Amino acid sequence: MSELDKIQTIMVDTFKDLADQLGQAEPFECKDEMILFGAGATLDSLTLVSLVVDLESRISDEWGREISLTDDRAMTRAVSPFDTFISLKTYINELVTEK
Amino acid sequence: MSHNLFANRIVCITGSSRGVGKQLVDYFIGQGASVVGISRGVDERVIDNFYPMQADISNPEELKKVFSFIKSKFNKLDILINNAGISHSGQALFLSTEKVRSMIDINFLGAFLVTKEAAKLMMKNKYGRIVNIGSICSTVEPFGASVYSATKAAIHSLSNSLAQEFASFNITSNTLALSPFPTDMLNTISQADIDWYLNEQKIKRLAEINDITNVIEFFCLEQSSFITAQFIQLGGISS
Repeated sequence: MSELDKIQTIMVDTFKDLADQLGQAEPFECKDEMILFGAGATLDSLTLVSLVVDLESRISDEWGREISLTDDRAMTRAVSPFDTFISLKTYINELVTEK
Repeated sequence: MSHNLFANRIVCITGSSRGVGKQLVDYFIGQGASVVGISRGVDERVIDNFYPMQADISNPEELKKVFSFIKSKFNKLDILINNAGISHSGQALFLSTEKVRSMIDINFLGAFLVTKEAAKLMMKNKYGRIVNIGSICSTVEPFGASVYSATKAAIHSLSNSLAQEFASFNITSNTLALSPFPTDMLNTISQADIDWYLNEQKIKRLAEINDITNVIEFFCLEQSSFITAQFIQLGGISS
Protein backbone atom coordinates (compact mmCIF):
# COMPACT_ATOMS: atom_id res chain seq x y z
CA MET A 1 0.00 0.00 0.00
CA SER A 2 1.43 3.40 -0.96
CA GLU A 3 1.79 6.21 1.55
CA LEU A 4 -1.03 8.10 -0.17
CA ASP A 5 -3.30 5.06 0.09
CA LYS A 6 -2.48 4.73 3.78
CA ILE A 7 -3.25 8.41 4.34
CA GLN A 8 -6.51 8.05 2.41
CA THR A 9 -7.56 5.13 4.62
CA ILE A 10 -6.68 6.99 7.83
CA MET A 11 -8.53 10.09 6.70
CA VAL A 12 -11.64 8.16 5.70
CA ASP A 13 -11.61 6.29 9.04
CA THR A 14 -11.20 9.55 10.93
CA PHE A 15 -14.10 11.15 9.08
CA LYS A 16 -16.19 8.05 9.72
CA ASP A 17 -15.54 8.25 13.47
CA LEU A 18 -16.26 11.96 13.38
CA ALA A 19 -19.63 11.33 11.75
CA ASP A 20 -20.39 8.78 14.47
CA GLN A 21 -19.44 11.25 17.20
CA LEU A 22 -21.66 13.86 15.62
CA GLY A 23 -24.51 11.39 15.39
CA GLN A 24 -24.81 11.85 11.65
CA ALA A 25 -27.03 9.38 9.85
CA GLU A 26 -24.90 9.61 6.72
CA PRO A 27 -21.11 9.36 6.66
CA PHE A 28 -19.04 12.11 5.08
CA GLU A 29 -18.44 11.68 1.38
CA CYS A 30 -14.68 11.85 1.36
CA LYS A 31 -14.25 13.29 -2.11
CA ASP A 32 -11.08 15.14 -3.02
CA GLU A 33 -12.95 18.40 -3.61
CA MET A 34 -14.73 18.35 -0.24
CA ILE A 35 -14.23 21.81 1.28
CA LEU A 36 -13.02 21.61 4.88
CA PHE A 37 -12.54 25.24 5.81
CA GLY A 38 -13.94 28.57 4.70
CA ALA A 39 -16.98 29.35 2.57
CA GLY A 40 -19.03 26.27 1.73
CA ALA A 41 -17.15 24.13 4.23
CA THR A 42 -18.53 20.75 5.24
CA LEU A 43 -17.34 21.22 8.84
CA ASP A 44 -17.78 24.04 11.28
CA SER A 45 -14.60 25.38 12.86
CA LEU A 46 -14.93 23.38 16.10
CA THR A 47 -15.53 20.15 14.23
CA LEU A 48 -12.50 20.86 12.07
CA VAL A 49 -10.41 21.23 15.22
CA SER A 50 -11.63 17.84 16.46
CA LEU A 51 -10.81 16.30 13.12
CA VAL A 52 -7.31 17.75 12.99
CA VAL A 53 -6.48 16.67 16.55
CA ASP A 54 -7.67 13.14 15.89
CA LEU A 55 -5.98 12.95 12.50
CA GLU A 56 -2.68 14.27 13.85
CA SER A 57 -2.71 11.60 16.53
CA ARG A 58 -3.46 8.77 14.09
CA ILE A 59 -0.85 9.93 11.59
CA SER A 60 1.78 10.23 14.32
CA ASP A 61 0.94 6.74 15.60
CA GLU A 62 1.05 5.22 12.12
CA TRP A 63 4.44 6.70 11.23
CA GLY A 64 5.89 6.35 14.73
CA ARG A 65 6.91 9.98 15.18
CA GLU A 66 5.33 13.25 16.14
CA ILE A 67 3.78 14.87 13.08
CA SER A 68 2.17 18.24 13.62
CA LEU A 69 -0.52 19.40 11.24
CA THR A 70 -0.88 22.74 12.98
CA ASP A 71 2.61 24.14 13.23
CA ASP A 72 3.87 27.27 11.51
CA ARG A 73 4.60 25.44 8.28
CA ALA A 74 0.93 24.74 7.75
CA MET A 75 -0.23 28.14 8.90
CA THR A 76 2.11 30.20 6.74
CA ARG A 77 1.34 28.56 3.40
CA ALA A 78 -0.18 30.64 0.65
CA VAL A 79 -2.78 27.91 0.18
CA SER A 80 -4.00 26.38 3.43
CA PRO A 81 -3.70 22.60 3.76
CA PHE A 82 -7.11 22.71 5.40
CA ASP A 83 -8.94 24.02 2.36
CA THR A 84 -10.05 20.69 0.93
CA PHE A 85 -9.78 16.95 1.49
CA ILE A 86 -7.15 16.62 -1.24
CA SER A 87 -5.08 19.58 -0.02
CA LEU A 88 -4.93 18.07 3.45
CA LYS A 89 -4.11 14.65 2.09
CA THR A 90 -1.33 16.10 -0.06
CA TYR A 91 0.08 18.04 2.87
CA ILE A 92 0.10 14.98 5.12
CA ASN A 93 1.85 13.03 2.38
CA GLU A 94 4.48 15.74 2.21
CA LEU A 95 5.04 15.52 5.96
CA VAL A 96 5.23 11.74 6.19
CA THR A 97 7.53 11.29 3.21
CA GLU A 98 10.06 13.98 4.06
CA LYS A 99 13.42 12.89 5.43
CA MET B 1 -6.33 19.16 54.52
CA SER B 2 -7.45 16.86 51.73
CA HIS B 3 -5.02 14.58 49.97
CA ASN B 4 -5.11 12.88 46.60
CA LEU B 5 -7.52 15.41 45.15
CA PHE B 6 -5.66 15.00 41.90
CA ALA B 7 -4.77 11.32 42.01
CA ASN B 8 -3.99 9.95 38.53
CA ARG B 9 -4.11 13.43 37.06
CA ILE B 10 -1.31 14.56 34.77
CA VAL B 11 -0.32 18.17 35.37
CA CYS B 12 2.00 20.41 33.39
CA ILE B 13 3.42 23.49 35.12
CA THR B 14 5.56 26.06 33.36
CA GLY B 15 8.16 27.99 35.29
CA SER B 16 8.36 25.05 37.65
CA SER B 17 11.88 25.41 38.99
CA ARG B 18 11.40 28.59 41.03
CA GLY B 19 8.94 30.71 42.94
CA VAL B 20 5.24 29.93 42.73
CA GLY B 21 5.76 27.23 40.10
CA LYS B 22 8.14 25.31 42.33
CA GLN B 23 5.64 25.34 45.18
CA LEU B 24 2.82 24.32 42.86
CA VAL B 25 4.84 21.26 41.90
CA ASP B 26 4.98 20.29 45.58
CA TYR B 27 1.26 20.98 45.97
CA PHE B 28 0.14 18.82 43.04
CA ILE B 29 2.56 16.01 43.90
CA GLY B 30 1.15 16.11 47.43
CA GLN B 31 -2.31 15.72 45.95
CA GLY B 32 -1.39 12.55 44.11
CA ALA B 33 -0.77 13.97 40.64
CA SER B 34 2.11 13.31 38.26
CA VAL B 35 3.70 16.60 37.29
CA VAL B 36 5.69 17.56 34.22
CA GLY B 37 7.56 20.76 34.96
CA ILE B 38 8.94 23.04 32.27
CA SER B 39 11.67 25.52 33.06
CA ARG B 40 14.43 27.34 31.22
CA GLY B 41 17.04 26.23 33.71
CA VAL B 42 17.89 22.77 34.93
CA ASP B 43 15.68 21.55 37.75
CA GLU B 44 17.67 18.97 39.68
CA ARG B 45 15.00 18.06 42.18
CA VAL B 46 14.36 14.34 42.37
CA ILE B 47 10.78 13.74 43.47
CA ASP B 48 8.58 10.74 42.77
CA ASN B 49 6.13 11.47 39.96
CA PHE B 50 7.88 14.72 39.03
CA TYR B 51 9.31 14.99 35.53
CA PRO B 52 11.29 18.21 35.09
CA MET B 53 12.04 19.23 31.52
CA GLN B 54 14.20 22.02 30.24
CA ALA B 55 12.72 24.12 27.45
CA ASP B 56 12.21 27.64 26.25
CA ILE B 57 8.43 27.91 26.09
CA SER B 58 8.60 30.50 23.32
CA ASN B 59 10.33 27.96 21.06
CA PRO B 60 7.81 25.64 19.33
CA GLU B 61 10.46 23.04 18.49
CA GLU B 62 11.54 22.70 22.12
CA LEU B 63 7.92 22.46 23.20
CA LYS B 64 7.29 19.73 20.67
CA LYS B 65 9.83 17.55 22.51
CA VAL B 66 8.18 18.21 25.87
CA PHE B 67 4.74 17.30 24.59
CA SER B 68 6.07 14.31 22.72
CA PHE B 69 7.36 13.08 26.09
CA ILE B 70 3.99 13.73 27.78
CA LYS B 71 2.19 11.91 25.01
CA SER B 72 4.46 8.87 25.05
CA LYS B 73 4.63 8.65 28.85
CA PHE B 74 1.01 9.40 29.78
CA ASN B 75 -0.96 9.81 26.54
CA LYS B 76 -3.00 12.53 28.23
CA LEU B 77 -2.77 15.84 30.02
CA ASP B 78 -5.43 16.89 32.51
CA ILE B 79 -4.21 20.16 33.94
CA LEU B 80 -2.03 22.96 32.62
CA ILE B 81 -0.74 25.77 34.80
CA ASN B 82 0.69 28.58 32.69
CA ASN B 83 2.86 30.06 35.39
CA ALA B 84 6.13 31.04 33.70
CA GLY B 85 6.70 34.74 33.67
CA ILE B 86 9.38 37.38 33.80
CA SER B 87 9.26 41.01 34.78
CA HIS B 88 11.44 43.94 33.80
CA SER B 89 10.38 47.18 35.36
CA GLY B 90 11.25 50.66 34.26
CA GLN B 91 9.61 53.58 32.58
CA ALA B 92 8.73 52.94 28.96
CA LEU B 93 11.33 55.36 27.63
CA PHE B 94 14.08 53.43 29.37
CA LEU B 95 12.89 49.93 28.54
CA SER B 96 14.96 48.22 25.84
CA THR B 97 13.27 46.44 22.97
CA GLU B 98 15.07 43.27 24.05
CA LYS B 99 13.46 43.41 27.49
CA VAL B 100 10.05 44.16 26.04
CA ARG B 101 10.35 41.29 23.60
CA SER B 102 11.48 38.86 26.28
CA MET B 103 8.42 39.69 28.41
CA ILE B 104 6.09 39.23 25.44
CA ASP B 105 7.83 35.99 24.47
CA ILE B 106 7.69 34.37 27.89
CA ASN B 107 4.59 35.89 29.45
CA PHE B 108 2.34 35.78 26.41
CA LEU B 109 3.66 33.90 23.38
CA GLY B 110 5.04 31.09 25.53
CA ALA B 111 1.74 30.65 27.33
CA PHE B 112 -0.07 30.59 24.00
CA LEU B 113 2.25 27.97 22.48
CA VAL B 114 2.14 25.73 25.55
CA THR B 115 -1.65 25.97 25.63
CA LYS B 116 -1.87 25.10 21.94
CA GLU B 117 0.11 21.88 22.45
CA ALA B 118 -1.66 21.04 25.71
CA ALA B 119 -5.08 21.58 24.16
CA LYS B 120 -4.45 18.92 21.54
CA LEU B 121 -3.96 16.28 24.24
CA MET B 122 -6.87 17.60 26.27
CA MET B 123 -9.22 17.69 23.27
CA LYS B 124 -8.41 14.07 22.51
CA ASN B 125 -9.56 13.06 25.98
CA LYS B 126 -12.39 15.60 26.15
CA TYR B 127 -11.06 16.84 29.47
CA GLY B 128 -8.85 19.68 30.60
CA ARG B 129 -8.31 22.37 33.17
CA ILE B 130 -6.14 25.34 32.23
CA VAL B 131 -5.13 27.95 34.77
CA ASN B 132 -3.30 31.03 33.59
CA ILE B 133 -1.32 32.87 36.20
CA GLY B 134 -2.01 36.55 35.77
CA SER B 135 -1.20 39.46 37.99
CA ILE B 136 -3.09 42.22 39.75
CA CYS B 137 -0.78 44.50 37.75
CA SER B 138 -3.18 44.12 34.83
CA THR B 139 -5.79 45.90 36.98
CA VAL B 140 -3.80 48.29 39.17
CA GLU B 141 -1.33 49.20 36.37
CA PRO B 142 1.58 50.25 38.56
CA PHE B 143 3.96 52.97 37.49
CA GLY B 144 6.96 51.54 35.65
CA ALA B 145 5.42 48.17 34.84
CA SER B 146 3.66 49.03 31.59
CA VAL B 147 4.73 46.07 29.48
CA TYR B 148 4.56 43.51 32.26
CA SER B 149 1.03 44.68 33.09
CA ALA B 150 0.07 44.58 29.42
CA THR B 151 1.32 41.00 28.99
CA LYS B 152 -0.71 39.94 32.02
CA ALA B 153 -3.80 41.70 30.65
CA ALA B 154 -3.20 39.84 27.41
CA ILE B 155 -3.09 36.52 29.25
CA HIS B 156 -6.42 37.31 30.87
CA SER B 157 -7.98 38.10 27.52
CA LEU B 158 -6.42 35.05 25.88
CA SER B 159 -7.73 32.83 28.66
CA ASN B 160 -11.28 34.07 28.18
CA SER B 161 -11.18 33.66 24.41
CA LEU B 162 -9.76 30.16 24.65
CA ALA B 163 -12.41 29.24 27.21
CA GLN B 164 -14.91 29.78 24.43
CA GLU B 165 -12.94 27.80 21.84
CA PHE B 166 -12.34 24.88 24.20
CA ALA B 167 -15.71 24.73 25.96
CA SER B 168 -17.19 21.97 23.83
CA PHE B 169 -14.20 19.76 24.66
CA ASN B 170 -14.85 19.97 28.41
CA ILE B 171 -11.76 22.13 28.81
CA THR B 172 -11.97 25.13 31.09
CA SER B 173 -9.65 28.11 31.06
CA ASN B 174 -9.42 30.53 33.97
CA THR B 175 -7.07 33.19 35.26
CA LEU B 176 -5.69 33.71 38.73
CA ALA B 177 -4.22 37.17 39.20
CA LEU B 178 -1.52 37.03 41.85
CA SER B 179 -0.90 39.81 44.31
CA PRO B 180 2.64 40.25 45.67
CA PHE B 181 4.00 36.94 46.92
CA PRO B 182 7.43 36.30 48.42
CA THR B 183 9.54 35.11 45.45
CA ASP B 184 12.80 36.08 43.76
CA MET B 185 10.74 38.39 41.53
CA LEU B 186 9.42 40.25 44.57
CA ASN B 187 12.96 40.69 45.88
CA THR B 188 13.66 42.98 42.93
CA ILE B 189 10.93 45.40 44.04
CA SER B 190 11.52 48.13 46.62
CA GLN B 191 9.64 48.10 49.93
CA ALA B 192 7.96 51.37 48.90
CA ASP B 193 6.58 49.66 45.79
CA ILE B 194 5.42 46.65 47.78
CA ASP B 195 3.64 49.02 50.17
CA TRP B 196 1.99 50.67 47.17
CA TYR B 197 0.59 47.30 46.03
CA LEU B 198 -0.61 46.47 49.53
CA ASN B 199 -2.31 49.81 49.74
CA GLU B 200 -4.26 48.93 46.56
CA GLN B 201 -5.44 45.67 48.13
CA LYS B 202 -8.43 45.43 50.45
CA ILE B 203 -6.52 42.88 52.51
CA LYS B 204 -3.13 44.42 53.17
CA ARG B 205 -0.70 41.55 53.36
CA LEU B 206 1.48 39.50 51.04
CA ALA B 207 -0.12 36.44 49.49
CA GLU B 208 0.73 33.02 50.90
CA ILE B 209 1.01 29.79 48.97
CA ASN B 210 -2.27 28.53 50.45
CA ASP B 211 -4.05 31.58 49.03
CA ILE B 212 -2.80 30.57 45.61
CA THR B 213 -3.36 26.80 45.78
CA ASN B 214 -6.85 27.40 47.17
CA VAL B 215 -7.98 29.08 43.95
CA ILE B 216 -6.00 26.80 41.66
CA GLU B 217 -7.50 23.77 43.36
CA PHE B 218 -10.99 25.15 42.79
CA PHE B 219 -10.32 25.83 39.11
CA CYS B 220 -8.76 22.39 38.58
CA LEU B 221 -11.26 20.12 40.29
CA GLU B 222 -13.30 17.86 38.04
CA GLN B 223 -16.52 19.28 39.50
CA SER B 224 -15.51 22.81 38.38
CA SER B 225 -16.57 21.92 34.84
CA PHE B 226 -19.00 24.87 34.71
CA ILE B 227 -16.38 27.39 35.83
CA THR B 228 -14.59 28.93 32.89
CA ALA B 229 -13.44 32.34 31.60
CA GLN B 230 -13.22 33.50 35.21
CA PHE B 231 -10.73 35.95 36.65
CA ILE B 232 -9.94 35.92 40.34
CA GLN B 233 -7.67 38.49 41.89
CA LEU B 234 -6.00 37.85 45.21
CA GLY B 235 -6.05 40.36 48.04
CA GLY B 236 -9.30 42.06 47.23
CA ILE B 237 -8.45 44.05 44.15
CA SER B 238 -11.52 45.42 42.40
CA SER B 239 -11.62 45.33 38.61
